Amino acid sequence: MTLRFAGRTISYVVLLLIAAVALAPFLVLLIISFKARIDVLEVPPTLHFDWSTISENYRIVMHDDGFITYIKNSLIVTFASTALALAIGVPAAYAFSRLEFRGRDNWASTILSFRFMPPVAVAIPIFLMIQYIGLTDSYLGLILPYIAFSLPLVVWIMIGFFDEIPREIDDAAMVDGCTRVGLLFRVMLPLVRPGILVSAIFGQIFIWNEFLVGLYIINSQDRGTIPIGASSLLTTESPVDWNIAAAVGILTVIPMLIFSLLVQRWIVRGITAGTVR
Amino acid sequence: MTSATAAPRRGAREKRLASPTQRRGEAFFLLGPCVLYLVVFSIYPLVVSLIRSFEDYDTRKNSWRWIGTDNYSQLFSSSDFWSIVEHTLVFSVAGVFIQVTLGTALALFFNQRLRGSAIVRGLLILPMLITPVVVGLMWRALLNPEWGLVNWVFIKLGFHNIGWLSDPGTALRTLIMVDVWQWTPFVFVIVYARLQALPQDVFEASAVDGANWWRRTRYITLPLLLPAILFAAVFRGIDAFRTFDLVFGLTNGGPVQATSTLSYEAFQNGFKYQHYGYASAISYVMLIVAAIGVTVLFKVVNVRREDVS
Repeated sequence: MTLRFAGRTISYVVLLLIAAVALAPFLVLLIISFKARIDVLEVPPTLHFDWSTISENYRIVMHDDGFITYIKNSLIVTFASTALALAIGVPAAYAFSRLEFRGRDNWASTILSFRFMPPVAVAIPIFLMIQYIGLTDSYLGLILPYIAFSLPLVVWIMIGFFDEIPREIDDAAMVDGCTRVGLLFRVMLPLVRPGILVSAIFGQIFIWNEFLVGLYIINSQDRGTIPIGASSLLTTESPVDWNIAAAVGILTVIPMLIFSLLVQRWIVRGITAGTVR
Repeated sequence: MTSATAAPRRGAREKRLASPTQRRGEAFFLLGPCVLYLVVFSIYPLVVSLIRSFEDYDTRKNSWRWIGTDNYSQLFSSSDFWSIVEHTLVFSVAGVFIQVTLGTALALFFNQRLRGSAIVRGLLILPMLITPVVVGLMWRALLNPEWGLVNWVFIKLGFHNIGWLSDPGTALRTLIMVDVWQWTPFVFVIVYARLQALPQDVFEASAVDGANWWRRTRYITLPLLLPAILFAAVFRGIDAFRTFDLVFGLTNGGPVQATSTLSYEAFQNGFKYQHYGYASAISYVMLIVAAIGVTVLFKVVNVRREDVS
């Protein structure tokens, strides 16, 4: 009995440790972002905060450093790219799940393998392409390649969800005189709504964090997304103004934190789609 | 397939559907945009990249000149390149090994269903959602040599001050550690999901037979989890191999290239020095390795399971 109790206690200590390791870096960053520049240097940090310092730090980041613009840009680019990637990827996934054609599985693998393509391998040609059509420093210049980058993932996740829907439903609808395309839009889409949500989430996470290709395409401050903006703020100022850099970090984390709380269940489903079902 | 045999008496509409041209039309309509898009924005850039890797870019004249395999021979004869290859491989293999071990351990741990563990599981997802540039910033703050919390704890515990990011011998290990912090949860989520999906009766039977926890885990659970573990390992391995952002955010490849990965090196050559040809050659070497990894991955996981319904 006591042994069992000891085991339980150890388990809970381990659980707390896991939580601490996962969270500590965020907390430290949060604390630093609440400090004045000088107070960053005290170790261990005191938990003495001053509201005017906090608001001043975040005001500098939001307005003087233009973080508000980065958030807006990220939202526009992420939303547009994800929506378009879904519009292109969902029908393709449906075709891979339902149609029989020669080399189908090879085609599917080829498309999925682009998920693992090192972005650096295409960054330069894509940059030159975007430059050639005059879209550097524009939303469209980011959206066009981002669709391509998130497309394989969308197709991958959606094939799994389409496969879960019994084919009898297709047959029934076809017998009733529904065309393949009508079937997809009128019957299938409502049924795979969870899949659409999951792949949208993953597309969003990827695009929200994309950095390398963005660096090539965006040069001006007012079209930068959050990672690009954050990196320009961090690399130039971090050794001097750690409190400001930390505020940049926190403002980058917060949208993701809210997002993860809202869609946690679906994230887990998405990661496991394609492996365990 | 189904529609051809479904209902021969249904009339003209059904017949039209069954005709091969019609079905080819459907396939083109559904797949065409996706294939076309990837051709323009992924395959074409890859082909251009391949060609550029045999060329030299002249910044002043803004022109390309064919130089054959010069970029590659320069690459393969450079000792810098080989040490970067070594760092990248050490980073990927060691990092993923630790992630898989810890991730599997976490999955087994969370399998005991402690109260409150659902909240911690939720927290664990957060690190992998964060922009790697910010992850780098976070850890630079934690590991700061003067006021970083980690060194403070180490000194309190009686250790020496460690040059986490400034010591060339330690920096790569630090990079691995941060990658482990960010991506162990990914392995955990996959392995844990698999664990939840396993039939419980196997475990009950073996428990009745008197096998202890370790034997049950070693001989029953782990073999059943192996496909998920392998998948997670290969998936993470390819991603780790092409790591760029974390290096950019945490170390900038330094000190003295100790933490430069192939992606970072290609980026430096392309973006900073505008050695586009040389950068393309590096990225093509990466691409071939990644392609091998992907082939292995698709051997591990079946892309389309047949007839799930």
